[in-house]
Amino acid sequence: MWKFLVSICFALACILSGCSQTYQWSKKHPYYKQAPYGELAIAGVQNAFVLTRSGWFAKRLNVSPDSIQIVGTQFCAQSMLNEMKGAYSKLNILPENALADSPEESQKLDDRIFMRGKLPEQGVSIKDSAGNIPPRILIIHEVIVGTDLNRESFFDYAVIHNESPERTAAKNISAIVSYTLWDNEKQRPLFSAVDEIQHPVLVMTWADMETLIRLAVSEIRKNLYLGAK
Amino acid sequence: MKSIKALLMFLFVFVATMAATVSASDIFFNSKWTLWENADILIWTNDKELAIDPREFCLSLRRNNMAIGEPKCRTLGEWERDTIAARYANWLSNNIEPGLSSNYLKARHPSMSAKIQELEDKIVLYIADKGNVLQIAIFDETSSEPRAAGTVQKKADKIALGDDIASTFFDRKTSRRLSKEERQKKLTEPDEYYKEVPNVRAWGGFSVGYAQAQVPLTPYNWYHRHVESEIRNYRITRDSVSLWNFIDDSTPLFTLYAGAIWYGFIGGEIFYRYSNHVVKTDKRDTIYNELDHWEFGQHEIGLNVMFSTTFSPIKLMDIHLFGFLGFQYSFYSEDIAVKKDVEYPSKAYKARIKFEDVYKGALFGGGSQFVFAKHYGFSIRTGISSRGKSVYTEPSPDAGVEPTIIGAMTVDWFINFGLEYHWDL
Repeated sequence: MWKFLVSICFALACILSGCSQTYQWSKKHPYYKQAPYGELAIAGVQNAFVLTRSGWFAKRLNVSPDSIQIVGTQFCAQSMLNEMKGAYSKLNILPENALADSPEESQKLDDRIFMRGKLPEQGVSIKDSAGNIPPRILIIHEVIVGTDLNRESFFDYAVIHNESPERTAAKNISAIVSYTLWDNEKQRPLFSAVDEIQHPVLVMTWADMETLIRLAVSEIRKNLYLGAK
Repeated sequence: MKSIKALLMFLFVFVATMAATVSASDIFFNSKWTLWENADILIWTNDKELAIDPREFCLSLRRNNMAIGEPKCRTLGEWERDTIAARYANWLSNNIEPGLSSNYLKARHPSMSAKIQELEDKIVLYIADKGNVLQIAIFDETSSEPRAAGTVQKKADKIALGDDIASTFFDRKTSRRLSKEERQKKLTEPDEYYKEVPNVRAWGGFSVGYAQAQVPLTPYNWYHRHVESEIRNYRITRDSVSLWNFIDDSTPLFTLYAGAIWYGFIGGEIFYRYSNHVVKTDKRDTIYNELDHWEFGQHEIGLNVMFSTTFSPIKLMDIHLFGFLGFQYSFYSEDIAVKKDVEYPSKAYKARIKFEDVYKGALFGGGSQFVFAKHYGFSIRTGISSRGKSVYTEPSPDAGVEPTIIGAMTVDWFINFGLEYHWDL
């Protein structure tokens, strides 16, 4: 009886304090009916990556702490593009400055989840380097790479400013990806989402980093597919 | 034969006109925007040639909606020359599609939404030619999303087209435009939702109900000692803690009441309740052969404090949910008589049980009032009420040896349905 009461009290406290919070991590346009297949343009990958705990990564990957940010993010961006090339036979990689003039905006996914990123203006179509207009563009806004990251602590505005807990031994390397599938013909976001990928790691190597990015790409593709259903 | 032909002809024309009116226009959404009297209508397009004639459109508006007064219509050249507005216009013509609500058509560019906000009482009518249909959207200064959107079938006749647009989108009530002073004044007025709660709402009513000792959803064995008890020899029962040992607990209940709520939140109610309880005499006891009838009328007056909240699911009905807590005084008037042929009642008759003059009790419960057209209401209330010790007994040092008071713990459950009349004061 006491146990039952205690558990009820605990559940109540949980509801009141909001620890049972669930989030909606993606948003689709009513006209998003078919996931990209075979053909896709991709933008923003080159500048999307951010490495947190760079000291930790530098030490384990034997890179000097001064250059880990550049080396790490370049490696990640390249692996993501390679992975995407394997997934979409006609992958059209847009140049780095394709979105340079676009305004940065926030998209609301949930009551407390807002993701920021550059989106092309209404009425302006993005052109690739050959001057063609790709029909759909996957815009990667930001990929945060680190250890044991939770997407809530980056995207829920109510907890963004909370202090992070003391660092313990890292169990996983993680990536948090925010992206938008953009309808370039009608200039509207078809599918926007924030994904969180965890990859358990014992001895950190470049191969683990590559696996993390591979998992991220497969998660993106899975969500693009589920979103269209 | 001729008449059949005529009938067929008529049917054909009828079906054709029906089909034409059905397919002529499509409204994707139409929110509650304000159409001003003597409206200023700015016609905005990105097309090379405007599909309607502004002057003729003004006449269409007047033909279609007498209340519109003397509208002014002109093309919105300043937006047509602006790059950002032109981009947005282009984007709109790509994106106005069935099934998209207004928030999917929002102007994202800050300078575009600033342009829309500067309109000040003017109405922008966006028109885009899509070949066989015209896309229509309507903007006003209150939102950077279109307030209405849809399509009308394209026609070569500009006047007929103007009529179609006017009848589809501008067939609504008009409001008088406010002057500058009125506008200033309106800004300082309190919120309309604030005003909708009256300072005081009062009511009076009459209700019919039922009361019994057993509270629903509680076990019967809490009550059976009282409910099943009977009186022997005019005064002997197993115990006397509850009046339900002596009198029947389940009876109809009648209530007269009046109350008031302040600011839709806190209020009070005064009430008078009446019910009649027959005394439960033991049928096996032959002493009752002399008795004709024996019953008690229960009169209660009291006062409740109420806390209330209001919902308005439809325009003509308000639902007030409330909880109440109060106290009451209960009086029992005995009605007893022996049979006509009995000249001298028994000794036991004269020494029969007596109740206290007055009992003080408490009651609590909740309910709901359903008020139609602000005045006519019906209500349901349910709760638990009690009757306790007389308030007028002085505490004495001999309290321990005093006999117990009859009916010091008389509790019952009640439910009643009332008809009420409400006033807003």
